[in-house]
Amino acid sequence: MHSDTTGLWTPVAFSKDLPAGTAMPAYISSGCIALWRSGSGRVAASADRCPHRGMRLSHGFVRGEALCCIYHGWSYGQAGNCLRIPAHPGLVPPAAIRVAAYPVRECQGIIWVATGKPNGEPPQLEGLVPLRSLTANAGIGAIEAATTVRARPDGVVKFSHDLGPVFILLSAQEDGKTLMHVLLEAAADTALRLAASRAVEGLRRRAEELQAEGITR
Amino acid sequence: MTVQAMIDEWYPVGLFSQLDQQVRTTVLMGETIGVACDEKGNVSVTAANGRALPVRVRYGHVWSSLGEPTKELFSIPEADQPGRRFVDVGAVRVRCSPLRAVENFLDIAHFPFVHTDILGAEPHTEVQNYKVEIREDVDEVWATQVKFYQPQAAKSASGGITTDYMYRVPAPTCSVLYKTCPPRPDEWDVITLFVQPLAENLCDVWPWMALFDDTTSLTDLIHFQQMIFLQDRSILENQIPSLLPLDPGMEIPTRADLTSVAYRRWLKRHNYTYGAQLVAQ
Repeated sequence: MHSDTTGLWTPVAFSKDLPAGTAMPAYISSGCIALWRSGSGRVAASADRCPHRGMRLSHGFVRGEALCCIYHGWSYGQAGNCLRIPAHPGLVPPAAIRVAAYPVRECQGIIWVATGKPNGEPPQLEGLVPLRSLTANAGIGAIEAATTVRARPDGVVKFSHDLGPVFILLSAQEDGKTLMHVLLEAAADTALRLAASRAVEGLRRRAEELQAEGITR
Repeated sequence: MTVQAMIDEWYPVGLFSQLDQQVRTTVLMGETIGVACDEKGNVSVTAANGRALPVRVRYGHVWSSLGEPTKELFSIPEADQPGRRFVDVGAVRVRCSPLRAVENFLDIAHFPFVHTDILGAEPHTEVQNYKVEIREDVDEVWATQVKFYQPQAAKSASGGITTDYMYRVPAPTCSVLYKTCPPRPDEWDVITLFVQPLAENLCDVWPWMALFDDTTSLTDLIHFQQMIFLQDRSILENQIPSLLPLDPGMEIPTRADLTSVAYRRWLKRHNYTYGAQLVAQ
């Protein structure tokens, strides 16, 4: 199964797509999560649901070292503990009010989140640098069929462009979609970066066509 | 998840002012219905199989029911009070449970975060204690002595004021809000939320107002309410689960949520569960 090729670690986003003080939705095999980076730059991941009224925390806002729910401003620390309930400023939130927090690693510009207790460290993709992430309305099988290349054990599909090799780190999403994180060798020049970006868009279109036709490998 | 107990209730199915002899098709609790008005002004609501459904025309809206209402449509005495302006705001379609839409309307703690600098603003986030009861004589949920600081409580307000509120739930998908009326301190402005359940997770929200405000243009009044409800929609379409959980344990209320606690209890007591989730899933 491709979803297991990276062990328990899922590549959820490139570091550069999550600036300090922002939150975004992401997906791991156990479901949707809220991914956020504190004001000081620390990345955290939590369940995407405020336990108060069920609002998605990925719609929230980051203030300092806390993620705040957009609905009533309840704020949570990196460990998932509730720090503040604005409707009751004098109240210390009971320890029972918390959201599940997930282990996070950030290495070589990629943010990895573990579904459960992490089994070792995320794969090291030495020598590669992030280009861009995009979502395909197609499964991993259709993307493999479109590239005619199978994913490596570390979850990477490598294909050759005229100007140089292109690497795509695949991550299965909800509703049969796949997140494609595109990486290049560190030495890639502007021409290759532009060409790879276009090539991957073409690849996405082919994979979506194949998926629509029901053709996967 | 049963339609049964709620089927005999009254629901808004459109604005009376928008009717003509052309049949307008809409949906009530999953059933397609037609709403029309003949040249004499008689309104009819018809089920897909041709069955004539009960009709009332009140508070700017046409009301109907798929069942046989045992109670008359709830009364809003202010609707007959001279000097008020009655404002048909129109519909905001929201992909959420009709019950979640009502519960959000009963909530003040979200004002500083969702209606920032309009209905609330930090650091004025505290919700003072207020009174909540289920009035057994009228079988309605009431919240009184609700107070909240608002930067711009109404189109007619200039500058921040502490606004007084009363909330009333006279029907499972309807709420009536009474709030401080800036130009007439002895009166309450009336803002209602009439929710048409299209499905358990889809509704048309029909706000309606009965105000003392002779100066603000109709367009501005409607824009103000539409802006507020569009802000609410961004919340309502992103709550998990989409159905309103009636069993405790799924969500965590605080003192600020006592109106919602009473509303859920009242829904459960009456088996008003269309749009609700009974067992935590």
